[in-house]
Amino acid sequence: MFLRVRRIEWATVISTIALVALGVLMLSTTADPDTRGLENQAVQKAVLGALGLGLAFAMAQVDYRGLHGLAAPVYLLGVVALVLVLLVGDFDLGARRWFEIGPIVVQPSEFMKLAAIVAFAKFLTDRSDSTRTLRTVMVSLGIMLLPAGLIFLQPDLGTALIFGAIWMGMVFVAGARWWHLLTPVVIALAAFPFAWFFAQDYMRQRFVTFLDPGSDPLGAGYNVLQARISIGSGGWFGHGLGQGSQSQLEFLRVRDTDFIFAMLGEQLGLAGTIGLLAFFSLLIVQALVIGLRARDMFGRLLAIGIAAMLFTQSFVNIGMNVGLMPVTGITLPLVSLGKNSLLVTLLSVGILLSIHSHRGAAPFRQQSMHVVRGSIPAAGPRGGLGR
Amino acid sequence: MEAHPRPAARTGAGQPRVAGTRRALLLGGAALAGNTALAARLWQLQVVESETYREQAAHNRARTRPIQPLRGLIYDRNREPLVANAPVFGVWLAPADLPVEREGPVLANLAVLTGERLEDLRFKLSQARLAPDTPARLARAVPRESALTIEERRSDLPGISVRTSTRREYAHGDVLGHILGFTGPIPAEEVETYRRQGVRFDEDIGLAGVERSLQTRLRGRDGEQQLETDAFGRALHELSFTPPQVGQHAVLSIAVNEQKAIREILARHLALRERGAGAVVVLRPNTGDVVAMVSLPDYDSNIFTRGASSESFALLVSDPRRPLINHAISGLYPPGSTYKVIAASGALEAGVVLPQSKIHCDGRLILPDGWAFDDWLPQGHGLVDLERAIAESCNIYFYNVSGGNPYTRLQGLGNRRLAEFERSFGFGQRTGIDLPGEASGLVPTSEWKNKNLQQPWVTGDTYHAAIGQGLVQVTPLQIAGMYAAIGNGGRVMRPRLIDRMLDQHGNVAERIPPQVQGVLPISDANLRLLQAGLYRAVNEPQGTGPRARSAHTVVAGKTGTAEYSGARDTEGRLPSHAWFAGYAPAEQPEYAFAVLVRDGGEGSFAAAPIARDIVDYLMTGDMPPLPQDRPDFVSPDRRL
Repeated sequence: MFLRVRRIEWATVISTIALVALGVLMLSTTADPDTRGLENQAVQKAVLGALGLGLAFAMAQVDYRGLHGLAAPVYLLGVVALVLVLLVGDFDLGARRWFEIGPIVVQPSEFMKLAAIVAFAKFLTDRSDSTRTLRTVMVSLGIMLLPAGLIFLQPDLGTALIFGAIWMGMVFVAGARWWHLLTPVVIALAAFPFAWFFAQDYMRQRFVTFLDPGSDPLGAGYNVLQARISIGSGGWFGHGLGQGSQSQLEFLRVRDTDFIFAMLGEQLGLAGTIGLLAFFSLLIVQALVIGLRARDMFGRLLAIGIAAMLFTQSFVNIGMNVGLMPVTGITLPLVSLGKNSLLVTLLSVGILLSIHSHRGAAPFRQQSMHVVRGSIPAAGPRGGLGR
Repeated sequence: MEAHPRPAARTGAGQPRVAGTRRALLLGGAALAGNTALAARLWQLQVVESETYREQAAHNRARTRPIQPLRGLIYDRNREPLVANAPVFGVWLAPADLPVEREGPVLANLAVLTGERLEDLRFKLSQARLAPDTPARLARAVPRESALTIEERRSDLPGISVRTSTRREYAHGDVLGHILGFTGPIPAEEVETYRRQGVRFDEDIGLAGVERSLQTRLRGRDGEQQLETDAFGRALHELSFTPPQVGQHAVLSIAVNEQKAIREILARHLALRERGAGAVVVLRPNTGDVVAMVSLPDYDSNIFTRGASSESFALLVSDPRRPLINHAISGLYPPGSTYKVIAASGALEAGVVLPQSKIHCDGRLILPDGWAFDDWLPQGHGLVDLERAIAESCNIYFYNVSGGNPYTRLQGLGNRRLAEFERSFGFGQRTGIDLPGEASGLVPTSEWKNKNLQQPWVTGDTYHAAIGQGLVQVTPLQIAGMYAAIGNGGRVMRPRLIDRMLDQHGNVAERIPPQVQGVLPISDANLRLLQAGLYRAVNEPQGTGPRARSAHTVVAGKTGTAEYSGARDTEGRLPSHAWFAGYAPAEQPEYAFAVLVRDGGEGSFAAAPIARDIVDYLMTGDMPPLPQDRPDFVSPDRRL
């Protein structure tokens, strides 16, 4: 057996590294100066980022098609974890979202995103000949709604909505009919008044605050307003690293997670924010390109799902920071403090790299190209795992 | 036409086509469009509107703190300080730093720590929220221990801090209460007025006396300190500082020792006569300077700024003698015979009578319509001329010259001309003294009576006005002013309570010059006749004011016994206020005065001795002996 180092998709890797680095840079300006070594959150993030990236490189060597068989168990494991977190999770800030196992905090909803992408990809690939039927669409909707509903109960509306976006992107590319996709959207819009009636107070409040952050500058609208002030005051090039009264004097709250983009806007200005936006765009485009180049539907759908996840999260988070989207508590992938999110996003990048490195070629391409060509099924039974 | 990704092309036609390329490209386009929208928004925020947000960020971190100037001090004529600013601990709130959802527990904690009432704190907070950037005071003076506790528990009390400020402490508040007044919180209905003048709602302002009349000048103008603060209201460093403009100091015309002695003299006599209330005003005739001004009962200024016990406060408020009111300027009384000099001067000037004209007084004048007007002396004074009429206070004479006499066909001065003379002496209008709450009094006229009482003016009204009875109302200060004008040769001076204002270094900022408000329309010759009458009233055996005679100088003056409606005594007489007004020395007057004993009976008995003691004191500087220790003492039991 040969172990061949597969080609790495460098644009993806570079944009990933750039985004993680921006996050580390931001965290280093707010880190408690008394912390040393691994106690420092910026150092933690850098280390975890490096490890995760290493893991992604390793994954690039492994054929992503192995995930096809893992999809169902991983999905079920995720659902079980979500149920458990509702029952015995740690109660914090009015929600049950994670387990604390020693020093490690595990947030099942983060991992569930990836698990759901894999599950959708498998399901839609398996039903590739019936994606135009309502039945397939409805079953996939069910697969999405189960974890999304559990996450909604935590409560974490924002993350639950991400599942909807991922589902929609993947089912769309898989070939569902337009009206099959639009029907749930129309139903959701029609249900809005009822949802409003049943919604938790904080959700209504967030919606109102989104519409008019000035309505209660000391209350719910405070963060939105302060974020906008931070970004706006940054100007062209910002106040400089570690500068800027908004983040340094803590007018900007939750600056390490939800509003890290605002901190970046204040410190690095338009140059920083557009740069970050460019890296995200590059990463998302690369994910799509990898999807387009994928040799099979499974790979393409995985990449589309990951692209949808990256885009939705970054768009919603940045949109919230600049006041174009309501406050949903969604963090900025790769940049924000959260370690679960970072790890899951880097795993996603690993999958992307694997899809790329296994694009359009059977194992041992040099020898067997002419033999194999055209004879390997789209979702070939044996991937790189057995090499 | 479906776009072919490169790998497919490279791997050749044998590679099965993967579905959904067009849709994936569509999604990619949507994502790029979304990010382009974000970029556009960032351009708007960071380039187009950046300046606005920069200002807001600066506004966020900069907390402006007004620096209140120290309130100016008040000195007496000899530069003795009458008030000091004593340090106290105040509790302050930076409204923007107290999150709305934490208001409840924070206020509850503060109520316990400061002893303030919760509803008061709530009200102050609601006021402070109107200007979230400027700190507001929640409690004016808390004990040191509470102040320390609040400082220690700052993390539980966001936005709350302790600052030292000052409280007025009056060195002679017990004898100068009505003059100095006091400071205190702005009454709710005046908050808006003061806000427009740049005075914050939680500040102490002058509420009475000089503290009130000089409020603006004593207060000075706010300075400003800009601090950089973090989101939790902690001050990091100073950004800018504008020093406050310190308030000016006032120097009064009053000397505290004289005020104290004169108050003591009045208090002694009131105690002796078992009379609870009286007033004294002493002026310098040539300048109008106020030498002393006493209204008894009075109050100690300190009980307001130290926080009076509710009982002592209730006592002050419920006392029927109304100790909170300065009766020397705000009390309205009929002036009685002290008023007669007006009719006298008017009659002379108008030629109603000649100085030597004699009018017969047989003790009573009965008008044809049957109304009878009595003299105070039942058997009458016989034939009296002007000087004697003043000296012996003959009512009948003044009835004749004012309202006329139908039997002798004497044309009197008449109501209209009498009223003009009253006004020329300063009656019916405020004197303009630098104290709040001065009353203007009443010069009655037929128009006034028609309008207010819906009754016609009759001759009897003119008679009454001439002898200071009936509808006439004056303040003791106006009476003192009238006698000062007679004494100084005819100039009506504005009473001068403030001598000068000093800047913070003690240099004179402004001198307040004596001010002539009017000249009496009386010829020198006639004025000398009045003066002679006043001299004789005190110094001749037949005069009504011998008890005002001083061993140290010559006093000129006039008694007054002003009846007012009330319960008659056993001999059927109405109750009366006792007056004595005049000046001394008679030749070159240095002092003019008015003494009032409310419900004191005869002016010659109750008020004249007080005037004498005051003159004795002012002439010698020594406190006169107790009235009952004097050889000529007449027990108050004996009445004329």
